[in-house]
Amino acid sequence: MDPTIKDFESALNELETIVKTLEQGDLPLEKSLELFERGVQLSRFCHTKLEAAERRIEILNERGEVRPAPEDLGLDGGGAGQR
Amino acid sequence: MSDLFSEPFEEEREPQKEDLAPRKAVRRVLSVSELTAAIRGVLESSLGDIWVEGEISNCRIWNTGHVYFTLKDDTAQIRAVMFRSAVRYLKFKIEDGQHVIARGRLGVYEPKGEYQLMCEHMQPQGLGALQLAFEQLKKKLKAEGLFDPARKRALPALPRKIGVVTSLDGAALRDIIKVLRRRHPNAHLVIRPARVQGETASQEIAQGIRAIGKIPGVDVVIAARGGGSAEDLWAFNEESVARAIVSSPVPVISAVGHEVDFTIADFVADVRAPTPSAAAELVVAAKDDFCGRIDGLTQRLQSAMIANVQQRKTRVHALTSRRGLAGWPGRVALRGRHVAELTFRFRRAAAAQVHRHERVYRALRLRLEARDLRRRLAAIHGRLDTVDGRMQAAIRRQQDRAQSALGVLASRLETLSPLAVLSRGYAVCWNADRTAIVREAASLAAGDHVRVTLHQGEVACEVLTVEAPSRES
Repeated sequence: MDPTIKDFESALNELETIVKTLEQGDLPLEKSLELFERGVQLSRFCHTKLEAAERRIEILNERGEVRPAPEDLGLDGGGAGQR
Repeated sequence: MSDLFSEPFEEEREPQKEDLAPRKAVRRVLSVSELTAAIRGVLESSLGDIWVEGEISNCRIWNTGHVYFTLKDDTAQIRAVMFRSAVRYLKFKIEDGQHVIARGRLGVYEPKGEYQLMCEHMQPQGLGALQLAFEQLKKKLKAEGLFDPARKRALPALPRKIGVVTSLDGAALRDIIKVLRRRHPNAHLVIRPARVQGETASQEIAQGIRAIGKIPGVDVVIAARGGGSAEDLWAFNEESVARAIVSSPVPVISAVGHEVDFTIADFVADVRAPTPSAAAELVVAAKDDFCGRIDGLTQRLQSAMIANVQQRKTRVHALTSRRGLAGWPGRVALRGRHVAELTFRFRRAAAAQVHRHERVYRALRLRLEARDLRRRLAAIHGRLDTVDGRMQAAIRRQQDRAQSALGVLASRLETLSPLAVLSRGYAVCWNADRTAIVREAASLAAGDHVRVTLHQGEVACEVLTVEAPSRES
């Protein structure tokens, strides 16, 4: 990832500022192109971050180990002893 | 039973049973102390560990921490005490009117001849008492400031992992998973199984909250349980659970029972969700918000840029059409010239701009090319070729140098050659078989043959006389 982007939160804030600046106009074409490019970069970064998580269900057991949960966990009709 | 009581002590009441074995007459008078001690022995040994149900009245808490009270029902009452060491473990405060089951043993206070129940444990009976404990704990935690909104933490914008503390086979977990599956399919859940009702529930929930908060990446915890009776949800009213929630390093969402159920956990949690499903919605709601916000911003970014370009286009258009107007018949020549000049300047400016851009482009291309491997390879090849040529030239030069040095040497060598001396008129005299040069006349005798090498050719000669130089001379 781009090293100039710190984290999701700051990327989002910067994107917001850029959009506002662009919307106000009065910028030289080069400058606005530059901002636009940076904005696209930030937007892409945010989207990637949002979708970065992977669907996974794990169980933390008594011994403090994290293990994958059984496939049918939480499905209707799955698992014993429904209450 | 004490032997004392098996002995008769009233002679008068004794029936006449002379037919039986003759017996010793016993008459013992007991002191009060002896009697009291006997009573104490009976009570303490026969009524060792008992459970008594009744209502509390005349409750007094001494400043030693011991609690004295009376336990009564409709027709009887008994004095009771609970020492501080036992009071410590009670969840609720003992107060008049409470209906309890007390466990303990009977004790006799000899100086006063009184007996009393010494309670070791007490359980409240019925919902009223539970409600009481609830109110008491609520009051205590509130006094500590644990319900203070300023203490509550915000949920993370993007939870990396969602911790869940609940029963594996409960409805709460199914609801949470169902919502997440629908709303946010790539959520990462870490579940800490815990019994959510029964004796060990509060302990397991508290431990679970503590354990899951330590898992790297877990940045929000849902403590959940499906609906049930007030007693079913009781674990979430225990102080240990409340303390675990308060000390959790990450925000905790309480999601217990139905919308109408409020537990102590709800008061201390960073966020209270009315149901487990709602808790799951809360966790991903932030994410949805973000998706919307980013999409909105991206769209605005694009339209702002398009507007920006459009605006410029219009301006350029406006300017060029003004130029067209300026050439309208009737305009004075001066104006025409002015326009022509402007047009010229406009073109020049445009050309300059194009030129500038081209320069930037070239510079960029150069930088790009500098990075191009093939170009770098070609450069290296070029350099190699140059080096090669230079090397060959150097070798050639060296060869030439060597050759001329050789020429010089050869000519110097020539001056040293005896042949050159011969050309000046000298001759060399050899012995007959041409193996040695004759240097002294004495080495020859008359009649010996010698060979003489001249500048050109050689002659064979015979010695006529030998004229050796005299030894004296």
